[in-house]
Amino acid sequence: MSQLKSTPSSSPTQVKLVKTFPRFSVSQRWEHAVLLICIAILLLTGLPQKYAASAWSQTIISSPERLAMIQDIHHITALVLTALVIYHLGKACYLITRRKLPGDMLPTVQDIKDAWNMMLYLIYIKKQKPTFGKYNFEQKVTYWFLFFSIGIMIISGYVMWFPETITRLLPGGVIPAAIMAHSTEAIATAIFIVLWHFYHVHLERLNLSIFSGWLTEEDMQSYHALEYEQLTQEPRTHQDSGEIST
Amino acid sequence: MLIHNFEKKLPGVFLVIGFLLLLSLLFFIPTQAKDLAQETEQYCLSCHSNPDLETTLPSGETLSLYISPEQLTDSVHSPNGIECEACHTNITTYPHPAIEYQNVRELSRSYYVACQKCHPDNYTKTLDSMHAQVAEAGNLDAPVCTDCHGAHDVKSPAEPRTLIPSTCGNCHTEEFSIYQSSVHGNALVQESNPDVPVCTTCHGVHNIQDPRTQQFRVDEPDLCAGCHADQEMMGKYGLSADVYNLYSLSWHGVDVSVYDARWPTIQHNSAVCTDCHGIHDILNPYDPNSSVNPDNLLETCQKCHPGVGPNWTGAWTGHYEVSLERTPFLYYVDWFYSIFTPLILWTCCIYVALQIIRIIVARARRSLR
Repeated sequence: MSQLKSTPSSSPTQVKLVKTFPRFSVSQRWEHAVLLICIAILLLTGLPQKYAASAWSQTIISSPERLAMIQDIHHITALVLTALVIYHLGKACYLITRRKLPGDMLPTVQDIKDAWNMMLYLIYIKKQKPTFGKYNFEQKVTYWFLFFSIGIMIISGYVMWFPETITRLLPGGVIPAAIMAHSTEAIATAIFIVLWHFYHVHLERLNLSIFSGWLTEEDMQSYHALEYEQLTQEPRTHQDSGEIST
Repeated sequence: MLIHNFEKKLPGVFLVIGFLLLLSLLFFIPTQAKDLAQETEQYCLSCHSNPDLETTLPSGETLSLYISPEQLTDSVHSPNGIECEACHTNITTYPHPAIEYQNVRELSRSYYVACQKCHPDNYTKTLDSMHAQVAEAGNLDAPVCTDCHGAHDVKSPAEPRTLIPSTCGNCHTEEFSIYQSSVHGNALVQESNPDVPVCTTCHGVHNIQDPRTQQFRVDEPDLCAGCHADQEMMGKYGLSADVYNLYSLSWHGVDVSVYDARWPTIQHNSAVCTDCHGIHDILNPYDPNSSVNPDNLLETCQKCHPGVGPNWTGAWTGHYEVSLERTPFLYYVDWFYSIFTPLILWTCCIYVALQIIRIIVARARRSLR
């Protein structure tokens, strides 16, 4: 499963070999890139509407035409995000029918134990960090938080976009509830991404594997020890590196 | 010798006479002034108190020249010494100069300018008013001071207050009759209620503006809030004073406040108070004819949201706080996020802070070793 990559080192004559391990498929990397751009655009066009009374918002929304344009951008981006979600869920359904959906991302009891041990480690009760598999509990929290958050945003967003149609099926009370959920959930999500996700991928270490697709041996050993062991000790025989199963 | 003595005393005599004259002024002048004024009025009334006195104007209209002495004494001007010649500046004596006006209206429109002499502020305000604009555009029936305040019978304007709508109603008959049957007008007529708005409360007094402009529209929630956000006044009638604040938080209210603050002249249709409650015909929401009575609410919503179904009215949270009974969905969402958002914030903060501390301490230890 691992492959060798040559990187230029300090000495021009010597070539240092860095062993890399594939982590994300091309499809997953594209999904993340589209998601990132969508969330950024949705926040940039949504927050000025939420905080319409503030001065910075008023410089962005300087005229009713500008407001209409910002709303159009928000709606188009929402459609792209919806398509992405449908693709993501569709792929998962397809893999389930083929019995190929890897369970790496599903939460397990081990994750709760890991989180507990991590807390003990952080408050100096334990000396060692717990060891993790392909996705540690932090990454699972990130995935599932955003999974449900985007779900709420999409549902409440469409309720706000087509309130007249929605109230033919649902009681009218869902409209103001959706407005509140949409704008509050957006803030919670923004806080979560900035504090939690940015810390883990930028501050703790610069983890660009979602863009490059691979991790170095060193990163594998220190952050995904269980997966590293699995991959190096019992090499798998089959060559099926299906998009998600890597 | 005698003459000499007299000449010697002469300055003293003058002084005494002068002093007495000065002293007499103190007693004499005010009474004399009053007498003179009354004489002017009486002088005029000596002819004009004749009910049959009249003249025909070039337009063929008959102009009555009769002035009722009782009306004059009941007015605010005459008892305060402001008499005929204060306004009729071009008439000083008999025979009068010839009347140059073609008709009665032309005469009123030129005489009312005299009000400016003593009431310059209010006169100037009227020049900015809707009435002045339509007059300029050629409608000479547009009211001038005397049309509302009266001429020879001018009285203190708000006595009684009930008089104001009927004064406006002289021309705005339809609005007046609608207003009378509204919750406001009815309270004014039935109870002489001192709190309900009369025409001038909302439209202003002398500088009345066109209420059909976008500016008037977006300012309107603030206008209603003048009374309906007044805790004390609303308390008297068992009404909620939070209606304005809660409206401001609603979809419509947020929209309107943005337009009010930034683009007050740009056409925009988000609902303001009157769009749902009515304008001159505002009724108690429990009145079966009220546009916001639950039975009529859907129809009112459909004015702006054509074709919406019966569930639609449930989307309007009303002028009420979030509550389990009235707005259960909103209540649970609010309850959820009041816990969820701070929980996320604090969990992330504490977890990341602990991680950072752990890493920094570990690095510091390694470098010290």
